Parts: sequence; C-alpha cells; structure tokens
Amino acid sequence: MPLVDIDLIIGGPQGGGIDSAAQIVIRAFSIAGYEAYGIREYYSNIKGRHSYFHVRVKDSPVRSLRYPVDLLVCLDYESPFVHMEDVSEKTKVLYDEDLVNTKIEQVLTMEPETKKHIIERLKENGFETTLAGAVNYMKKKGATPYPVSFRNLVVAALGPNKPPARYANTLGASLAMALLGLPPEFTSRGIESVFGRKKEVVEDNEKIVKSGYDFVRSHNSVKVQELPVRPAKQKYILTGNEAVGIGKVIGGLKLQTYYPITPAADESFFLEGHDYFEPVMGEDIEAENEVLKNTGVVVVQAEDEIAAIAMAISGAMTGTRTATGTSGPGFSLMAEAIGYAGINEVPVVVTLYQRGGPSTGLPTRNSQADLLFAINAGHGEFSKIVYSSGDVPEAIEDAIRVFNYAEKFQVPVIHILDKNLANSFFLVEDIDYSRVKIERWKMGEKTENFERFKFTEDGVSPMGLFGKNIIWLTGDEHSELGHITEDPETRDAMMVKRMTKLQTILREIPEEEQVEFIGDKNADVTVLSWGSNKGVILSVFEKLKEEGIKANMVYVKLMNPFPSELVKKYLGGAKIIIDLENNYTGQLATLVRQNCLIEIDNFILKYNGRHTTDDEVYEGIKRILEKKENRVVMVRGA
Amino acid sequence: MAHNYRTDLWVDWCPGCGDFGILAALQQTMAEMNKKPEDFAIFSGIGCSAKTPHYINAPGMHTLHGRVIPFATGVKLANPNLTVIADGGDGDLLSIGAGHFVAAGRRNVDMTIIIHNNGVYGLTKGQASPTLPRGEKTKGLQRPNILDSLNPVALALSVGYTFVARAFSFDVKNTKDIIMKAVKHRGTSVIDLLQPCPTYNDINTKEWYEERVYYLDKDPTWDPVVREATSEESERKYLQAIQKSLEWGEKIPLGVLYQNDLVPSFGDRISDHITNYFEVPPSDSPIVNAEGQPVARMEKIFSDRLIRR
Repeated sequence: MPLVDIDLIIGGPQGGGIDSAAQIVIRAFSIAGYEAYGIREYYSNIKGRHSYFHVRVKDSPVRSLRYPVDLLVCLDYESPFVHMEDVSEKTKVLYDEDLVNTKIEQVLTMEPETKKHIIERLKENGFETTLAGAVNYMKKKGATPYPVSFRNLVVAALGPNKPPARYANTLGASLAMALLGLPPEFTSRGIESVFGRKKEVVEDNEKIVKSGYDFVRSHNSVKVQELPVRPAKQKYILTGNEAVGIGKVIGGLKLQTYYPITPAADESFFLEGHDYFEPVMGEDIEAENEVLKNTGVVVVQAEDEIAAIAMAISGAMTGTRTATGTSGPGFSLMAEAIGYAGINEVPVVVTLYQRGGPSTGLPTRNSQADLLFAINAGHGEFSKIVYSSGDVPEAIEDAIRVFNYAEKFQVPVIHILDKNLANSFFLVEDIDYSRVKIERWKMGEKTENFERFKFTEDGVSPMGLFGKNIIWLTGDEHSELGHITEDPETRDAMMVKRMTKLQTILREIPEEEQVEFIGDKNADVTVLSWGSNKGVILSVFEKLKEEGIKANMVYVKLMNPFPSELVKKYLGGAKIIIDLENNYTGQLATLVRQNCLIEIDNFILKYNGRHTTDDEVYEGIKRILEKKENRVVMVRGA
Repeated sequence: MAHNYRTDLWVDWCPGCGDFGILAALQQTMAEMNKKPEDFAIFSGIGCSAKTPHYINAPGMHTLHGRVIPFATGVKLANPNLTVIADGGDGDLLSIGAGHFVAAGRRNVDMTIIIHNNGVYGLTKGQASPTLPRGEKTKGLQRPNILDSLNPVALALSVGYTFVARAFSFDVKNTKDIIMKAVKHRGTSVIDLLQPCPTYNDINTKEWYEERVYYLDKDPTWDPVVREATSEESERKYLQAIQKSLEWGEKIPLGVLYQNDLVPSFGDRISDHITNYFEVPPSDSPIVNAEGQPVARMEKIFSDRLIRR
C-alpha cells in the first residue's frame, strides 16, 4: 500500500482560475517528489459555469482517479451541491462559509436538470436545499467540513483593496495543501512555478500561502501530519494535447492546419506557441549552415475543417510532414477528403480527439464513440490506418510513429484519442531519443514519365512529390501515371494495389505496436479496452490482485487494419472477457466480433462524458464476476 | 530542348469548348516562364475544367469539388518556391467552394486562381451556375433560372484579392498575357475567365461575347495598379475597379481591373516570424540530423512545460 495516495477535487467557476489551482497542486507535489495526475472537467462555456479538476497525488506512479475523494475544495457556491456524492468518511470538505445560506435556487450557474436531481436527493434525506444542507448531507456521509471565509482570509492577508475572487485559487490551493500536510515552501514554489517570479505577484502569493497555512494551524480540530519530502526528478507537466504536439514536432512536423474546435484546438494553440526553435543538427552541419540555426513549424488556422484537411493532404505531397487535428464535427467534414487521401495514397496524419456526440453532443466531455466512424470515414474502400493512444507517454511516441506509418505505407493515418487524455495532466521525463526512429518512404528517381502509382508486390509505390517529380493526382480512378482511367482491368489492379497495403501494414508494424497484452497469462478475467481507460484498468488490476483475482488486459492500439490474428491469440485462452469502453455499443467489441468471430458477452460502458474512475471499474468487474451481470453502465462524475 | 507542356492524352472537352483556349494560354505561359516543369503545381476542382492538370505536362492535382483553393494553398504553404495555379469552375469556386474563395482573398497566398466562367454546370448536364443571371433559360434548364447571379469580380475585390482581372478564352494571346501578369503578381491573383459552353449555354456564346468584350488598357489612361501605400490611392483604385465590375451587358471590360502589390503575401507574413521560411521551406527542412536522430528536442523547445525546482 502506498503511504500517500490522495484524491482531491477543486471546483469553481469556469474562468475562475481552477486550472491554476490544479497546476499549483500538481507542480507543488512534483517539486516535493510526488507523482500526480489530473483531469479537467468543464462546460462548453467561457465564464461562470461549474468546472473542476480531479487530481490524485501518490508516492508511486499514478494514472487514474478514484471516488470518493479525500479532499473537496469548493471555490464557488455550486461545488458543495454538485460534488456532494463524491465524499465519504475520509473526506475533508473545504467551503466558503460566507455562502452557507445560499439556496440552491440562487445558484444561477446550475442547470435546471441538475438542480432537480440535487433537490430531490436533499429532500429525500431530510436536508434543507441550501449550501448548508449540502454540507450537512456530506457530513451525514461522514465527511468533515472545514468552513472558511475566503474573503476574510484574503483581506487579512492583502488588505481591503485586492479583489478576493482573484485570489480564490491560490488561497484554495494553499488551504488544500495545508490540510494535506505539504510543507508551505513547496506550495510557494508551486505557485511560483505557475505564475512566475514577478516581485509583486510573489509577495502577494506568499501572504496568501501564509494566511492559508495559519488558518489550518489555528484550527484546533485539524490534525495534520506533515508529508515527508521525497527525492524529486525534474519533470514536464503535459496534457494529452501537448503530448501529441510534442510528438509531432519531434517527429518532424512542419505544417499543421486546423479549424478551432474543442478539445482539439489546444494542440494547435500549443504548437503556435512553440513554432520556431533551434534544431540539433550535429556539429558538422551546424558549422556549415547558418540558415539552419532555427527552424519553424507553420501552423495555419484554416477557414474550415475541409480546408484544413485539404491543405494538409496537398502539403504532405511536397515531402513535408503535415498534420491536422480535429474532433467529431470537424472530422465529419473531413470524410470526403480522407477518401481522396486514400485513393491518392497520401501520407497525411489526422489527429482525432473524440468528444461526446452525435452532432455537437457534449462538446467538452469525453467519448470513445467515433472509433467505427474513424475506421469507415470516406466512401468507397481504401487503406487507412487508425491508431489509438491512451496516455501521455504513448501519445508522444505514437505521434512520431504515425508519421512513420503514413509515409512508409503511403496511407492516411487517423490518430485517435479522447477528451479525457486531451485534458489530463501527466508528469513525464524527457524522451529517450536513441529509441526514436524516423522512417520515410522510398523515393522515386525519375522526374518525367514517373509512375507515382506503380504496381508493386506490397502495394507501396516509390514516392513522387511536388517540387521533385512530375506527378498527377486525381480523386478519379487512375493509371500508374496518375491520369484518369475507367479501364476495368486497371481499376481491378489499382483496387488490389491499394487494398494489399492492409496486409503489408499488419505484416510490417511490430506486434507490440499493434496490441499490448498486459498482465498474467492465466487470468481469471480479461479486459478488452483501448484509449484513456488503460491507466484506470491497470490500477484496478492492482486492487484485484490484492484480493487474489488475476486479471489481464488486451489493449488494442492498431484499430485499422485490425490485428485479428493477434487479438484472437490473446483472447483465445480467456476465461471471462469484459469489454470496457466509453460508448454505448461497445465498438471495440464490435470490431472483435467482426474480425475475430469472437462474441463478447460482458460490457462495462460509460457514455455520460465524465472520466472513468477506479471505483466504478472495480465495481463493474465485481458485478460481472460475482453477480453475473453482463452490462454495467458507469455513471459517476459531476 | 524546351519542355513540352502538353501531355499525349486526348483532350475530351466538347468541340468549341472555352476550356481549350484557357489550356493553350496556360501552356504558353508556363513555357514562356523558362522554369523547370517541376517548379509548377497545377490544381483543379471537379467538372470539365478540372481535367486541365492532366493535359499539362507538369505536376498537377485534380482535387475535390469546391476544394481547389485549399489544396493549392497547402502545396504553396509547404513549398513557397513553387508556382501554383488553381483552375476551378464557376460552380466549384463560387458555389460549393465559395467559403474558400472568400478566405483566399483574406490570406493572399502567392498563387493564381482561374475561374472558368461559363454560367453552367457542364458535366452534370447544364444546371445553372452562380454566374447565370436570374430569368435566363439556357438549353439545359427546365425553367428560367430563379436565382440571382453573383459578380465574381466585385466579390473578389470585396474580400481582399490583390490582383483581379478578367479575360476571354477565345482570345488566347491576350489571355496568356493576363495569366502571365497574374502569375507574376506576389499575392493571390484571380482571373474571371469568360468562356462559352457550346453544349449547354446557348445564350453566352462565342459570338455573344465577341460583340461585347473590350480591353481596358486600350484606353491609355487606364491604370489599375495601386502605386502608393496611402488609403486615398488604394481607395481610388478599388472604387474604380468596383465600378468597372458593374459594367456588364452592352460592353464587357477585360484586362487587369485591380492590382495591389503593396499588401504582403501570406508567405511574407509567415516569414516575419519564421525568418528562414523561404530559404528553408517546410518541404526542405531537415527533420533528422547526421546521426539519424530527430533535430527537434523537448528541452530546447518545450522547456516552459518543465517544472523547475
């Protein structure tokens, strides 16, 4: 058992500095030598609606979250209501005592449906429908409330002229870390790491930290045990969006196109902020090439997603590593062009961050419901790769890999991720560059009469590029030269050429890059899954192991072409298979049924858009194993 | 030996099609530019005109309906040293692709857009295109057109194109001269290229045009070029061009209507920030070093995400 393993939620209004508060917590603990992981949950809204950060801090690697939480920090009047189910006897609840008389009807930011559910629950349990009622509800569940006057503490620290709301996040973080027992100097360094070292800011924040810690110390009832400081390694704090951006840049991205959409656009914003840098060329080249002292990534905001994918496709045909990033609605618009990239065998990368659908759906919430759509996007039949990542280290490595796949096999690649990963924070070390491989196409030699689509055994032709060869591309069926043809024999041969690549891809991508088999060979239960639930599942396996239940996971990364033989092999010996996904129909299970002729009977699914947590996965597995249920829907999350 | 810009494919347009003249003018322009054929990139959308790249012996891309502009833009962004020409039909550029047509004016990427303007969708049997006036009933229509036409020249001017011209496809020599000027302009140039569709447009025929068209530069005082970076000068030239764009009927003006070389191209705007953008364009920028390892390193680029202690 880890000595330190803390879950906390910081809730507050969107635009109220919740991100900063969570960043302070994660950074402070990292500096003190702890591991941390967190996910941001938020509305499609700029200012005012309730958002929260769920963070877990541990003295060993962490990549999943749990309910109930150990600490709930309520920076607004909505938090105590919407998170009142997230607590237990171990939970400390920090809330603003000045708001205690707030009636739920006065919480303007709360949606009427949510209000109705909370009112019902409070009334059923005999509590008032006020903030005090919500606190009492939590108290009944065993939680310990810590009322604090945020206003008084800020005024006491900084005088009456500073707006208390602006300091709610640093104060909330300070109070939280004081309650958790982190020595105050780490909190200060965490704050400095987020806001920088500007003198006035540092001074104000120091006062806030002190007032937070003093308050907790002066509270007689609070017994805090100081956490030990551990040896710390310097780490990067990265979201999934940033991880993909970093992987792309290391992999050689030179042109990124996009149209703003949540949750994909953060990746492109991040790239715009890191688009001009000093390359490591090696000594000889550095001396010769003054002009190569710096290099850029051109990031272009297109007029729509159709333009974004069109620019990326043609850009890729100049030999430039080119990508675009989008989410469901934008990806829908890209479908026609993906078919164009397919028939023209264009090495373009599309990063697809899934969010709740259909249509605009849940624009800022999680989903894994676009898997089958990604595989089938574009009319007609053609080779494309759909490749999935589940955490930040994977996302960095995979963003490099997918460029290699795209160019080596000359196919479009859909790199599929989800909102949970896009908006979660991981702590990672620098990557091992000796492990990074850059693989590209075989280039064609001739300039003229060059057969861009030459028939070959493995379906892959020597590459021809704009600026280098005379090539023709067309969305029509074409000859080896690339001119339009409707000749039936050529059509047949071209179909075979393009579709042969599916076998070539399965043959040449190493098995361990296609599917990961994790855990005991002889397990009592096998979980089939993909994407961002990987960390949760592995975390739950540790708990099952303590109970003597052996589990393993078949974690699929290559979704198209589907690694049927490999999956068949891994699932072949399974006693009980559970499919775990964030969608309604179990899309990976559908793929397994379709490709492996293996029927999967047990499902743990979640489609409410909120992140999956250890407790609900554990409960789901137990219900299937012990109560013989075969479909468990996970419903947690505010 | 000079490069032959013709491919040996049979050109499958209807006899008398305006596309022939545009193709010839394009091939002549390219030959006269004395570049290597691989220095060009020719793009098209969908429809009759979209076959153009296949008839030109230079790198070409026959793209999707309405999307010729973003496809052409992508190649130019990745390799700004290529000469990029985008051919699209009037339906392609001004209906399904109208959003891209507008965005291109704002972006001012250094490339040339040629609108094959014949008032109809030929390959789908003659439906009305956005340039066919309301009330006109061409051969392919069941009833007279019930939509108003748009004015491609005025539209281009209003969204910021820095070079706007009009040409007539049966005058190959002058069309070639106009294309040459357009290609040499540093920024997005657009040519409203009037052409008959002998099969489906029996109103705007070759003879119909020949009776009406005249060249603006026959008048020695005509000057479409913005010569000073003052708002007064650019406004004067802009209004003059708008006024000319409204002239349609008895007389149809041809030639350069507006030219402003003082607006920085999109590439110039990128190079303000990425200063070696033209010297080392994305397409030629090394991604691995001599040891075969990536040139981009986390600690050099993303150190702002490092948690400093």
